[in-house]
Amino acid sequence: MNIHAYERLWVAGSMVLIVGFIATITYGAVGLGITMVDDGEEPLAPDEIDEDERFGEPRVEEVGDDEYEVYVVSATFFFQPDPIEIPAESEVTFYVTSRDVIHSFTVVGTNTNTMVIPGEVSAMTVEFDEPGEYGIVCNEYCGAGHHDMEGELIVLDPEEFEERQEENDDDVDAIEVFDHRTATAGNGELP
Amino acid sequence: MTELFAERYPEQARLVRAALLTSFVALGVGALFGLLQALHRTDVLRIVESPTYYTVLTGHGVFLVVTFTIYFLVGLYQWAVTDSLDRGPVNPRITWVWYGLMTVGTVLTAITILAGFLDDPPEVLGSELSADVLFTFYAPLQGNPLFYVGLAVFVVGTWIAGADWFRTWWAWKGDNPGERIPLPTFMVLTTMIMWYLSSIGVAVAILAFLLPWSLGIVDSVNPSLTRTLFWYFGHAFVYFWLLPAYMLWYIVLPKLSGGRLFSDPLARVVFILFVVLSTPTGIHHQYLDPGIAEGFKFIVMTNTMFLLLPSLLTAFTVVASMEHGARQRGGEGTFGWLRTLPWRDPAFTGMALAGLVFAFGGFTGIVNAGMNINYLVHNSVWIPGHIHTQVGTAVALTFMAGGYWLVPQLTGNRLVGRQAALFQVVLWFVGIVFMTNSMYRAGLDGVPRRSAEPQYAFDYDISLGSMAELDAQLALGGVLLFISTILFLGIMALTWRNDGTEPVVDGRIPPALSGPEDAPRVIDDLRVWTALAVVLIVLAYTLPLVAVASRGGLFGPDITPLPVAVDYWLPVLADLVGASIG
Amino acid sequence: MGESELRRETGGDEPGLPREIGHDEFDPTGTLALITLYFLVLVAMWLFTYFIEFVDNDPTPMLLT
Repeated sequence: MNIHAYERLWVAGSMVLIVGFIATITYGAVGLGITMVDDGEEPLAPDEIDEDERFGEPRVEEVGDDEYEVYVVSATFFFQPDPIEIPAESEVTFYVTSRDVIHSFTVVGTNTNTMVIPGEVSAMTVEFDEPGEYGIVCNEYCGAGHHDMEGELIVLDPEEFEERQEENDDDVDAIEVFDHRTATAGNGELP
Repeated sequence: MTELFAERYPEQARLVRAALLTSFVALGVGALFGLLQALHRTDVLRIVESPTYYTVLTGHGVFLVVTFTIYFLVGLYQWAVTDSLDRGPVNPRITWVWYGLMTVGTVLTAITILAGFLDDPPEVLGSELSADVLFTFYAPLQGNPLFYVGLAVFVVGTWIAGADWFRTWWAWKGDNPGERIPLPTFMVLTTMIMWYLSSIGVAVAILAFLLPWSLGIVDSVNPSLTRTLFWYFGHAFVYFWLLPAYMLWYIVLPKLSGGRLFSDPLARVVFILFVVLSTPTGIHHQYLDPGIAEGFKFIVMTNTMFLLLPSLLTAFTVVASMEHGARQRGGEGTFGWLRTLPWRDPAFTGMALAGLVFAFGGFTGIVNAGMNINYLVHNSVWIPGHIHTQVGTAVALTFMAGGYWLVPQLTGNRLVGRQAALFQVVLWFVGIVFMTNSMYRAGLDGVPRRSAEPQYAFDYDISLGSMAELDAQLALGGVLLFISTILFLGIMALTWRNDGTEPVVDGRIPPALSGPEDAPRVIDDLRVWTALAVVLIVLAYTLPLVAVASRGGLFGPDITPLPVAVDYWLPVLADLVGASIG
Repeated sequence: MGESELRRETGGDEPGLPREIGHDEFDPTGTLALITLYFLVLVAMWLFTYFIEFVDNDPTPMLLT
């Protein structure tokens, strides 16, 4: 083939770019330890959510020293629990599943962002360094009320979080069980 | 003798005109919907109720990226095959059959979408006549069965169109044994091979799952599976929009610049790379999907990054061809030659600006291709920013500019309003800069896409400027783009009716500086590249598809057990691959 | 030989151009300069987007110990 010398140079430059981009991503995965949402969780059918040990009662749970798990159920057009309260400076794993259609669970202004697909569970482990308040949105179109689907994430100072937990334990009986069936009624998108 | 396409091939010109007319009607409706969205999202003006926004959004997507782009493609490709092989189709009736099928499909799908505007849509085939499912139609969102039927009929129409072009080429080959495939025809054939290989995915998603499900024949579907099948098709789909624009950049832009294509062999290599790499990359749209292993995502990421190569090669070849024109026109200096290019020609300027926007949009595509960085941009308004620089400008503006060059040759009429046309393409460029500047920046700050009211209880943390400023830019950009579209359609309508005039353009395409004789013959052996593409697709997709199907079951999370899925799926896949080669 | 090829061979160049430049006498130096600039811009934008926009947009899902 008759390829001009400059063009050969550009092919070499292009390969440098491509390999450089792949190398950066690899560094992010191996060097920085960024993990992708993947197939690590067992599938969970939407009609098994209510009986599921984790998602039957969506909640924040302490599972170890400075380790928390958050079980989130998304449905048209809300997240449970809402708001979600977690402590700063702790390892927090969000497990998210969907009761109906495809949603997302996206903590706005952070890289904590996943698709939520019915039948699957998304898992993300993150650590918030500072207390703060974040909006959670669904960024995948999920029906007529899609734009109303939002939640709140409150990251508390670790000590304040302790105190809140103790208060909550005191009036655990007062927690109202959320009835998702009434909440999803009126969604015209589902067959 | 005349050089005008309309006089050499009146029957073909009629078909190309019909295709472009359909394309431009869709452009007008789609652009109006785009304007409504730009004003609604930013809360400047809300004419429809927010739930109806999604009807508008579905129409905007389907009419622009399916109807506008693909009708332009079939028109352009019909022209390219006829002109470069210098012969019409073997059976002109077949040509009208595929045009008719595509149109029946379009009308069916359009009816289901537009019925979403009715307060009380009628019942058709057992469900409400509407399809507010966006152009990705992710299950379990469900449209009326006619929506899926329309899409399937449309796709079958495009398959027959491809077969029609292959048949013309085979006939030509019989008359011209041993000749190299003319470059425009080579581009058409390779594009269609890519289309056959990839559209199988969406055909299976629709015919095996979504249509039976919407008709109530099966109770449920596996949303991960139909989504994965959609994206098996979905990324090659974006190249289906792009490759006709590439054809105009390689074939027409050098001529408009006053030069010749720099390298015919490299143009062929570029199209081959698209055949080989476009499909085994689709999972990069699913980086944040649960249920797909990180390893699969990484493999797809490397494939996607290598897909940069054909576009980077194109940047060089096309710019070098323009420089050749500029030098022949007397251009001097390292950058001074840019001034001697024919900037007063709307066809040239439109394509050149489209290429410039594509160069920037290419960068945002690299970000989208990067696996872990997808957490930053996934489903934020950055993504429609990318879509609007690429298909919304690189493709759409190139098509409009191409229209200024092609339509006079198809109608035999002189282009009306050359100055207005120049203004139109520049206005598009300005509009897209405002709109996508807003989208990219807002996306990086986490503003979501596809939302009728992206104003929530919390405030966005805008790193530069303010949300009000970003909204203003988006709305302004949308208005400018709409005005530009109307101007384009007006110029086209007047040109169409400008009877009794002579066009100033001619259809002669100068030969490439480095012609096909410089390329090894294997380049023209389409079977080799098809086989290679199939191998890569099987490698990239067999395991993910089996995994997704067995995790959730073929027809939903709790219906089909795991072993059945694997047993069922492998032969199905093998059959599909076999069918695509044969 | 088809008509279109004839047209192409006889009408290869635009009439009225100041000069005609063949393959061997054309070195696209301007293109090389532009594409080198593009290369540098791509590298700079990539580094900024990855290491500033992305990495600073924490928290990011990670392996934590």
